[in-house]
Amino acid sequence: MAEGFRLRERAVLHFNVADFAVAVERVSDSRLRQRPLIIAPLQATRAVVYDMSEEAYGEGVRKGMPLRQATRICRGAELLAPRVSLYHKAMQAFLKELQGYSPLIEYGRADGHFFVDVTGTHRLYGPAPDVGWRVRRHVRTSLGINPIWTLGTSKLVAKVASRLVKPVGEYIVTAGDEAIFLAPLPIHLLPGLSANELLKLQEFRLTTIGALAGLDRDQLMVPFGSRCDYLHAASRGVDDSRVCGPAADGESIACEHSFVDDTNDEQQLHGVVAALVSRAGFQLRTRQQVARRVGIWLRYSDGGQVVRQASCKTGTSGDVLLQTLALAALQRAWTRRTRIRSCCLVCDRLQRRSSQLSLFAEVEAENGQCRQKQVTGAMDTLRRRFGHGVIGVGRQYSGNL
Amino acid sequence: MLPLRVRSYYSLLQATTSPAALCRRAKELGYAGLAMTDRDNLYGLWDFLKACRREGLRPIVGAEISEPGSGKIITCLVQNIDGYTNLCALLTRRHKAGGLAGNSAGSFSLADDVAPLASGLLVLCRDTDLLRRYKEQGVEAAADLGARPDALGRTLRAVAGGLGLAAVVTADSAMGEENDRQLYCLLQAVRDGKTISQAMRQETAAGNWLAGKEVYRTRFAVWPEMMEATAKLAASCTFTGPDFGVVMPPWRGGDGRQPALVLRQKAYLGARHRYGDDLGEPVVERLEHELKVIEAMGFSAYFLVVRDIVHRKAADGRRKKRRICGRGSGAASLVAYCLDITNVCPIKYNLYFERFLNPGRTDPPDIDIDFSWDERDEVLTDVLRDYQGHAAMVCNHVFFQLRMAIRETAKAFGLPGGEISRVTKRIPWLHAGGTESLQQSLVSLPSLRDQDLSPPWPEILALAEKLIGVPRYLSVHPGGVVITPKPISCYVPVEWAAKGVPIIQWEKDGAEEAGLVKIDLLGNRSLGVIRDSIAAINADNICLDEESWQPEDDAATRMAVADGATMGCFYIESPAMRLLEKKAGTGDFEQLVIQSSIIRPAANAFVREYVRRLHGGTWQPLCPEIGDVLDDTFGLMVYQEDVSRVAVALAGFSHGEADGLRKVLSKKDKILRLEHYKTMFFAGCARRHVDPVEVERMWQMMMSFDGYSFCKPHSASYARVSFQAAYLKRHYPAEFMAAVIANQGGYYSTFAYVSEAKRLGLQILHPDVQTSTIRWAGKKERIRVGLQSVHGLSDGFLQRLLLERGREHFGDIGDFFRRTQPADNEARALIHAGALDGLHPEGNRTALLWQWASFQRLLQDKRRLSLFQVRLPPAPPLSPPDLKSRLRREYAVLGFLCDHHPLQFFNQQHKGALKVAALAERIGQRVQLAAWLLTGKLVSTRTGEAMEFLTFEDETGQLETTFFPEVYRSHAHMLQSGRGYLLTGMVEADFGALTLTVDAVRPLHSC
Repeated sequence: MAEGFRLRERAVLHFNVADFAVAVERVSDSRLRQRPLIIAPLQATRAVVYDMSEEAYGEGVRKGMPLRQATRICRGAELLAPRVSLYHKAMQAFLKELQGYSPLIEYGRADGHFFVDVTGTHRLYGPAPDVGWRVRRHVRTSLGINPIWTLGTSKLVAKVASRLVKPVGEYIVTAGDEAIFLAPLPIHLLPGLSANELLKLQEFRLTTIGALAGLDRDQLMVPFGSRCDYLHAASRGVDDSRVCGPAADGESIACEHSFVDDTNDEQQLHGVVAALVSRAGFQLRTRQQVARRVGIWLRYSDGGQVVRQASCKTGTSGDVLLQTLALAALQRAWTRRTRIRSCCLVCDRLQRRSSQLSLFAEVEAENGQCRQKQVTGAMDTLRRRFGHGVIGVGRQYSGNL
Repeated sequence: MLPLRVRSYYSLLQATTSPAALCRRAKELGYAGLAMTDRDNLYGLWDFLKACRREGLRPIVGAEISEPGSGKIITCLVQNIDGYTNLCALLTRRHKAGGLAGNSAGSFSLADDVAPLASGLLVLCRDTDLLRRYKEQGVEAAADLGARPDALGRTLRAVAGGLGLAAVVTADSAMGEENDRQLYCLLQAVRDGKTISQAMRQETAAGNWLAGKEVYRTRFAVWPEMMEATAKLAASCTFTGPDFGVVMPPWRGGDGRQPALVLRQKAYLGARHRYGDDLGEPVVERLEHELKVIEAMGFSAYFLVVRDIVHRKAADGRRKKRRICGRGSGAASLVAYCLDITNVCPIKYNLYFERFLNPGRTDPPDIDIDFSWDERDEVLTDVLRDYQGHAAMVCNHVFFQLRMAIRETAKAFGLPGGEISRVTKRIPWLHAGGTESLQQSLVSLPSLRDQDLSPPWPEILALAEKLIGVPRYLSVHPGGVVITPKPISCYVPVEWAAKGVPIIQWEKDGAEEAGLVKIDLLGNRSLGVIRDSIAAINADNICLDEESWQPEDDAATRMAVADGATMGCFYIESPAMRLLEKKAGTGDFEQLVIQSSIIRPAANAFVREYVRRLHGGTWQPLCPEIGDVLDDTFGLMVYQEDVSRVAVALAGFSHGEADGLRKVLSKKDKILRLEHYKTMFFAGCARRHVDPVEVERMWQMMMSFDGYSFCKPHSASYARVSFQAAYLKRHYPAEFMAAVIANQGGYYSTFAYVSEAKRLGLQILHPDVQTSTIRWAGKKERIRVGLQSVHGLSDGFLQRLLLERGREHFGDIGDFFRRTQPADNEARALIHAGALDGLHPEGNRTALLWQWASFQRLLQDKRRLSLFQVRLPPAPPLSPPDLKSRLRREYAVLGFLCDHHPLQFFNQQHKGALKVAALAERIGQRVQLAAWLLTGKLVSTRTGEAMEFLTFEDETGQLETTFFPEVYRSHAHMLQSGRGYLLTGMVEADFGALTLTVDAVRPLHSC
């Protein structure tokens, strides 16, 4: 099985647990395996679906659909509240299993997707397909989850293969066979295409990946412009992107809150932003970093999304200034009356906190800042010891984020 | 003391309570009168005066006037008729300055513009500078201390004292009572586009409610003299409403000759044109009678004004003949017919002149004229220009209706638009709540069965219910124009609608109460259809002489009418009407007049009885006392005037009283006034010893004219147009159907008309950029789809296309794109509609899409400056779209298919399903068939249950179906027009008309 793989070829394994949250719930309660399952916040009247089982999907339930509509479509479904921390735990357990085979692992946020670059590990762990089989066996035994695994020479090929065999199975694409493998497949299996691009491809009757591969780069340039390079390469199975490890410290900090019941109440939204600020500020201070830009991402209940930012020259990790920036960004982002489903705060343009004091700072302001710093420091100490929710400012949202 | 400065809900979105409720509240609080002062308007004047009369209150007329941009407000109270005239002028001036960009003229300042128009007005203000200025200018002013003593009040009081002016307490209220607070916040949210939570938090002091005298007395205990000053000031406002009498439009022609003389002369001249030189005795007798009544009532000038409007004299002094159709009772007048302002002979069709004018009638009659819809605006522009400053259109007060109220409230609660539409779109138009709450009534609606009304919907619906009936904005009446002898702003404030026309601040009922005579100039699509059909026929060198055209005597046309083949024909194309035509099977003009009048909401039983009697069923007069009054209509009350005639014959009503009864039946707020007529009717019948059981039966029959009903002249006038349309459809179907679709606005969708055209054997040709015009065009057996039906084409693009095509035909696709410069959506729509097929050798639409992409790429590529010399590179070998995709896209941009019926693409797995054409052989049998839903009409059974009549079609014909309440309840939520269904039900026949009584429905899925 592994003959086709030579060392100079890349070997990327893709593990994909279909409906991850459902799979984890079904592990913790085996009775749930018998029935369609919908995961969504249960106490809220206007909750939306967080995840659903394959059976529920078959009946028309989709992620983000209002729960009441979902339960009408799929009347026999079992309903469960999401337990995000449990899914994180399961991700970590899965990750631990994979870390034994490669340092290069790329994974998402509690979604059951992993890319593992096993190029050159043949001597240590045996042929890549064996790793796939072995991981699945172990995960099945230790976690009770049955992941799809696929093997290809790139993330793209492995991903397409995984989409092909979903919800269970495995697939190996031998090096050199990428184009032959992709050619007969329907175009929608190709990752990274926007809805618009899919529509265009359909209009041009480019219904298979092979048909797309039949056009040269110049021809693709005509309808797709700068995207022609990606399409040209992807349709032939060429993908040079690396398997990236966990995000490095220098990138950004993001904290998100999804409202169980969507809302357009100003006070509630301000409370949530304050809570997000305190969480992000804590992380910044822990990392000894400051952010020079704060962004607010709002997702409205009708699916619309708005992103707005506010920045400051010096950078900050203090809650007060972060809060000011966040509110400025929020004011720019929140222009509609429609309810908000989720709010995400992103601190970026990070840099190391300078320990150098300002030479000409006014004494009074300095005193105020100093006192503020002390309070924040004391709060951080408490948080580290007793958990983040133990203390916060008065206006902040007190529920779980 | 009287509460001054009380805003009603006519202060749009700034107050909550109706004038009637305010007056009721004022009465409860023990006031002897009140001053209703809405913001910048007198919209509610007549409601207010009526409510004051009912409650026995003394009205004080007034308005608040705001200064655009500054937020300053004064309150003007009217002391006498001069003050009223000045207030109207001030408000008009305020609106002229503060109107929309383009309409606004000059500026409006409270400091400078009030003084010249201040006589007869008492001005209350809360601005010390303004107070001083008014004092200097000699304006009668007083300081307005508001509803609570505050710091500003103290300053105002001091300044007023220093100037020797009075200072008064005002209610400054926007609500009738405290409970209206939530509604008030909702209105703020709607007005400012805020959320309800923001509005609740930001609620300001402007939200005062009307309190009792004692409350104000207690609040102002520090300045007790203010209460007395207020009472004194109120007492000086003695004006209790305008009384203009009847205000007729002035006639400016005649060169000093009496209008009556000119009218006589013109009427006889017209009569000779209509009937020949030898006028028979009936014509002369009738003319004399009418002229006598018209002159005695002083309406001669009115007829001449209407004639001048309808057939306006051009600059060369010649009258421009327009295609018109008289509507309403005016068509009963022979004088009007002779003046060419109506189109049916009242003698030939026995039309009752007294329905239009009678000596007992106190209110002014109105002559309503229909013009072709696309010529109407020109007529209005001419009138408004000819009578500039003296003419304006009547407005409509647009109130929050159920759907709008729910939509706006839900938006303030932040629900997404899609979620709101899912609920509002499924509420039937005629939904009436009844006694239960809005939520209860919506939950029980079958069409909302599968909708989620969980929180926050209950809160939204509870609040929306309060919003229903609150005025939101003004719109322009479809055609009502008022022309006055003095400048119109002497009678009523005028403002300017968004499209730039002047409108008076009252709607038609208010205008009528004020005595302003309204002329209705309305748009009628079918006149355009007839005009275009005749033009198309004449262009084909067939001459149709309209002067001698008598379509009602054409046998083929009569047969078509008798067969109900009148889809597309004005006024007689609805499913109910076509079924009735089939049942009647006569197709003659007189019966069509009856049929088009008898179909009204509350008269189903009469329709059945009419058909039975028409086919020879026996009948007796309603009661012996009525005699032969209703013999023409087989003893049934069909027309509006039958109510009057029965009231005269049975209860001894005078013509005026009988006309009053007829009129009150069509009013919205009739309950009180109807009670009065009922008493009169029963008393009159009792005096004449009519059997009380019969009287009750008769009264109930009269009540079936509740809502909309028609008078015979109106129906006859319309039936003439109907016959013209039916004639054109029968003899020139391609020209006619093309004109029907091109003029739009018929009862059915374009899809349904296209199907009908196909059933008539016509070929529908795809739109084509080389040959299509903007409008549809029919010739012989073919109809070419007009570019107007390709969704998304802008006017600018269409003009460019026609211009370029006029210069030179398009050589190839690149040439077309280059010369017409379509937007992306326009090019794609044209390709999908098949309008560019001719520009590709194989008509391959995939290749055309590629070519479009190539063209766009070249445009973007800055290096290719030689774009206009190069040809587009050939497309790669792409296969054309498969049939289903092609048709799906075609349907999406056109709304219909040129060569197929969508039903062909649905799963036809149901064995034994029939076609509509085959149903005639299955009468009395249970059948199954696949059909396409076109339209539906929801009705209520006698017990108040909802049921629906739905029209379906397939390739072979149309089918009327009945969904009785039980079936309707279980299937309503899945019924949506423009979709295919599998129907199961019983075929029934009634006097030859087939219907299907459905017992099961299933949506069809495409295969």
